[in-house]
Amino acid sequence: MGVTSILFWSLSALALISAIMVLATKNPVHSVLWLIVVFFAISGHYILLNAQFLAIVNLIVYAGAIMVLFLFVIMLMNLNTATEPKKNLWMKLAGIISGGSLFLILISVVRSSVDMSQKSALVKDGNIGLIDTLGKVLFNEYTIPFEISSILFLSAMVGAVVIGKKN
Amino acid sequence: MNAIILSAVWGVIMMFSSILFKNKGAFKYIAAIGLIVLTVANIANTYGCDFFNINTHEMLRYTRFGLFFNTIAFLCTLIYVLLSGKEIEKHGNYVAEYYALIFFVLCGVSILTSFNNLLMLFLGIEILSIPLYILTGSDKRNLKGNEAALKYFLMGSFSTGLMLMGIALIYGGTGSFQIDVVRSATLFGTFSGISFLEVAGLLFMLVAMAFKVSAAPFHFWTPDVYDGAPTVFTSFMATVVKAAAFIAFIKLFEVRIADTSAVINWGMLLSLLIIATLLIGNITAVFQQSVKRMLAYSSIAQAGFMLFAVFSLNDFAKEGLILYAVAYSLATIGSFAILAKMKDITFEGFNGLAKSHPVLAATNTIFLLSLAGIPLTAGFFAKYYMLASVVKTGHYLWLVILGVLFAAVSVYYYFRVIQAMYFKEGDAQAEDVTPGFKIGLIIVAALIILVGIYPQVVLNWLYF
Amino acid sequence: MNNLVYLIPLFPLAGFLINGLFRKSLNKPLIGIIGSGAILASFVVSLVLFFQVKSNGALPVEALFSFINVHDFKIDFAFQVDQLSSIFLLIITGIGFLIHVYSTSYMHDEPTEHFGRYFAYLNLFVFSMLLLVMGANFVIMFIGWEGVGLCSYLLIGFWFKNNNYNYAAKKAFVMNRIGDLGFLLAVFWLLAKVGTVNYHDVFTAESLAKLTPTDITAITLLLFVGAAGKSAQIPLYTWLPDAMAGPTPVSALIHAATMVTAGIYMIARSNVLYSLAHVTQNVIAIIGIATALLAATIALKQNDIKKVLAYSTVSQLGYMFLGLGVGAYTGAVFHVMTHAFFKALLFLGAGSVIHAAGGEQDIRKMGGLKKYMPYTHLTFLVGCIAIAGMPPFSGFFSKDEILAAAYARSPILWGLGVLGAAMTAFYMFRLYATTFLGSFRGTHDQEHHLHESPAAMTIPLVVLAFLSVIGGAVGVPEALHGHHELHHFLSPVLTTEVAPELGHSTEYGLMAVSVVLALAALLFALNKFSKKPELGEPTGFGKVLANKWYIDELYDAVIVNPLLKFADFLKNVVEKSGIDGIVNGVGRFVQYLSRQLRLLQSGQVGNYILFMVLSIVVLFLVFWNQAIILQFLQKVF
Repeated sequence: MGVTSILFWSLSALALISAIMVLATKNPVHSVLWLIVVFFAISGHYILLNAQFLAIVNLIVYAGAIMVLFLFVIMLMNLNTATEPKKNLWMKLAGIISGGSLFLILISVVRSSVDMSQKSALVKDGNIGLIDTLGKVLFNEYTIPFEISSILFLSAMVGAVVIGKKN
Repeated sequence: MNAIILSAVWGVIMMFSSILFKNKGAFKYIAAIGLIVLTVANIANTYGCDFFNINTHEMLRYTRFGLFFNTIAFLCTLIYVLLSGKEIEKHGNYVAEYYALIFFVLCGVSILTSFNNLLMLFLGIEILSIPLYILTGSDKRNLKGNEAALKYFLMGSFSTGLMLMGIALIYGGTGSFQIDVVRSATLFGTFSGISFLEVAGLLFMLVAMAFKVSAAPFHFWTPDVYDGAPTVFTSFMATVVKAAAFIAFIKLFEVRIADTSAVINWGMLLSLLIIATLLIGNITAVFQQSVKRMLAYSSIAQAGFMLFAVFSLNDFAKEGLILYAVAYSLATIGSFAILAKMKDITFEGFNGLAKSHPVLAATNTIFLLSLAGIPLTAGFFAKYYMLASVVKTGHYLWLVILGVLFAAVSVYYYFRVIQAMYFKEGDAQAEDVTPGFKIGLIIVAALIILVGIYPQVVLNWLYF
Repeated sequence: MNNLVYLIPLFPLAGFLINGLFRKSLNKPLIGIIGSGAILASFVVSLVLFFQVKSNGALPVEALFSFINVHDFKIDFAFQVDQLSSIFLLIITGIGFLIHVYSTSYMHDEPTEHFGRYFAYLNLFVFSMLLLVMGANFVIMFIGWEGVGLCSYLLIGFWFKNNNYNYAAKKAFVMNRIGDLGFLLAVFWLLAKVGTVNYHDVFTAESLAKLTPTDITAITLLLFVGAAGKSAQIPLYTWLPDAMAGPTPVSALIHAATMVTAGIYMIARSNVLYSLAHVTQNVIAIIGIATALLAATIALKQNDIKKVLAYSTVSQLGYMFLGLGVGAYTGAVFHVMTHAFFKALLFLGAGSVIHAAGGEQDIRKMGGLKKYMPYTHLTFLVGCIAIAGMPPFSGFFSKDEILAAAYARSPILWGLGVLGAAMTAFYMFRLYATTFLGSFRGTHDQEHHLHESPAAMTIPLVVLAFLSVIGGAVGVPEALHGHHELHHFLSPVLTTEVAPELGHSTEYGLMAVSVVLALAALLFALNKFSKKPELGEPTGFGKVLANKWYIDELYDAVIVNPLLKFADFLKNVVEKSGIDGIVNGVGRFVQYLSRQLRLLQSGQVGNYILFMVLSIVVLFLVFWNQAIILQFLQKVF
């Protein structure tokens, strides 16, 4: 077992445990903090996959900006454990069962696809995730989606203003 | 490329126009001009004149079918703006921004009709959806509208998640986002000829698309959102947007299902969706008290009919989908335009409309008859083409029988409105009905009858 | 391009539209002029076309527009004027014109509005009849066929305030519809087997080769059912006597001279088919002679002047069918023509009598009208002699031709025919003697009212009387040193005509027997009824005849009442508890389902997403196991 494998397994374990903790803790602030841990673990995975740029962006945007926003919202709304609505036990059970079945199905899908093992070879290529490579691909082949996503953000911004401003 | 770029640009123009014009009424006409420009540019594109020569790396591919649908969508939106422009002005101070959002939606529509890459599909769907979330919640002081917007957003995000999951799985299975590549990759793999990952991914895509077109059992957002949103915006959501989602749906599944039908039977899944959609849409609509909510369920039912096109995927289905888009959009825009003018939107609110507003009652009757698929209206041929396309495939003929049965059920709830308008005593009240509005309604009704008598008037454009 | 052809139906159509639409604003003379003028114009055009046909042969088929055009199946709205149809055109427009003129006077007491309605209907009728005979295919013929049925219905029920008249109109319509069903089925059959309905295409060896003998028999029989309905043959004849409820000129035009001969026209038109179907020919001959005799016996005891004429019409139509059945198509058409002359004459004469007697139709209350109405009397007498078949009046030649052909087929048919002819002479002169001879038996007021009719009524009578006398000249048989011009004229159309191969001496013999017998019956009736008319209610067998063999009652008991009972059963039992129960049950079930399904829409996003995830799981499972599911489904179903 090499260093990569040890890192992979421990990061995976961390990601899973903290993801479960996000759901399990009663206090919303704790949930957000656990979520930040999840993002860190995922970023670790990105680095293992040679996607350095993605790892950094993930940290800055998600763990940095978005999580801070979440914390602000939670604090402004002053949410605490008492306000969480009680859920029906049967509904919980049904949720667990259906979610679990979907999970099982997805695992079986991944396990039964043989072609996965051959396509993971890209990990060895060190340059794939550098800004240099990414930028070239983004501004050559993917210019159109890149530009068009600006329309998406523009409409989202307009929406935010429309919703947020006083009438 | 004309439609995509110009619609985005005109969205920006709309936003700037709010600085220049203080009169709310002006925006309607600026939007109308924009739509005319878009239509003309798109028609130019159809006949080989693309203003923007951009290498899209095969991510977008223009077909006659998609471009023609663009034209229809723009024209329907034009009719919508002219008929319901006054209603939009009633919702707050951001009229120009609403129009901007509508143009962004049209940009999404244009992407969806020409995508050739799953990334573009995703972008199109999102550009289509996000403005709608906002439009749903545009009436900020209405609690129901806020609730609807939030629900729509939450569930929409869920379906986006499913779609991304699907795209990721497909990428994992085939190594590409291009639809063509995905297609050729189906030759290798493990599950009866195609990769497990890809099949699973496609299934997720199916679910996400079913959500967007409000096919049962992924329709739950529809009644709440359509009912909660301001009536004007419901009208837009239920027509142009839904039809565009169907075009994307059929484009995505077009070749795939036909190619692998021997081994993998998508037909069974789709027929399950169709049955569920027809059942839930039609049956639930029967018991509604509010016409608006009834129309929401009826739009689910109509989605069930449009799913026939995705099911059969032949030339008939494509022609039928175009016809359905026209028939359904016109009738729904008209019907919602009248609904928006009504003081009381329950069935009782329509009592005696024929006496107080004969033109409204008469045109509304034509719209409802078309929705019910009665001959001599466009709706009849739309339904006919859908059923005929299934007959042409030669399988699942019982679906056709089921379709006819549910069409019969639908007559019940559409006729309840007609009955209320003509045969019940009451004083239905409608607000500020102008002569121009009436003329607009009459034109829409005339179009419906024209297409109902001579459907080739629409379909010929697909080929010439 | 012969534009004249279109004009013929166009004039009556225009007349119908003008009179129908502006009947409230036009005055009576104008309505009369428009109505009659339209027919006169058609008559003139028909005459022109007739001479063209006479000198150059049949005109080419004129297609007006494509009527039905589906895939490779095409029906044109086309007109065909050939020898056969040109003769019919002349009869329809010529006699139609006379009757229109007559009507202007006869209907003069009607209010303007109804007067206009009357002429509109009459013009519409002529239009439909023209379509019927001019159509170049069975479908156009069917349009006219239905049109005349409709006009007949409208005109029988013209005085719609009287319920009995409405009932009579309804009866006529329903019986005609029964016949029409046969016609339609025949046309469908023809279409299915041959693929065309154009006369030109159907009556070719190539098309006929596509038909098996069974097909031909079935098609001809079905067509005959249609003809029997329209031309009042057993068993569909009972509507015609009831149709006398309409105004008398209508009876003259529709129920004597033209519409009822549509069946004969149709069969003569399809003679190519009929000559190949011997079974059908025999059926037609037998039904024809049976109708002729049955109607003649009933006519013996009728006391209503119009009823006698009505049964006589049925009887004469029977003769025409006899002629068709034995292959004497020319004879049948000839008889249509002469019958049109003298039957129109008799009806109009009867109308004149009724007009004079102030609406009285019972001959027992008439008598001695001879001195009051000289023109009517004289022309009526001419009509009676003509229908009795006395030489050299027209009826003699046509009836004789049919009887000669019947003899060639079977002497029994001939014998029965002669018997019928004798009865005809008897009841006609019974009618004549009771009405015109003796002394007047009505009230004093009525006697005071008696007068000769105005010129507008008597002139058509005189013209028709003239035609009744000389009309036979076109068909003088060779045995009487004639050329039988009609026969030569029609031979291009009636290609399958069978000329009876009888020696001249045989023919003389046959003529002599029938004339002598008829003359004897005539003189007997004249002698008997001029002195002592039959005034009381008939008794014994006479009562059976007077009640028309109780055929109407039989139809009521056997067909109408069971049908009504069955309808009652359907309405009260099957519909109420069966159909309604099912329909309402479905409705209730849908409502129940609707209420249950509505509960799914709880409004909770969590629930919605749960449902969606569950659905995804189900979809995955179904998709993965679809082979198994398919197998299972195949086993179950």
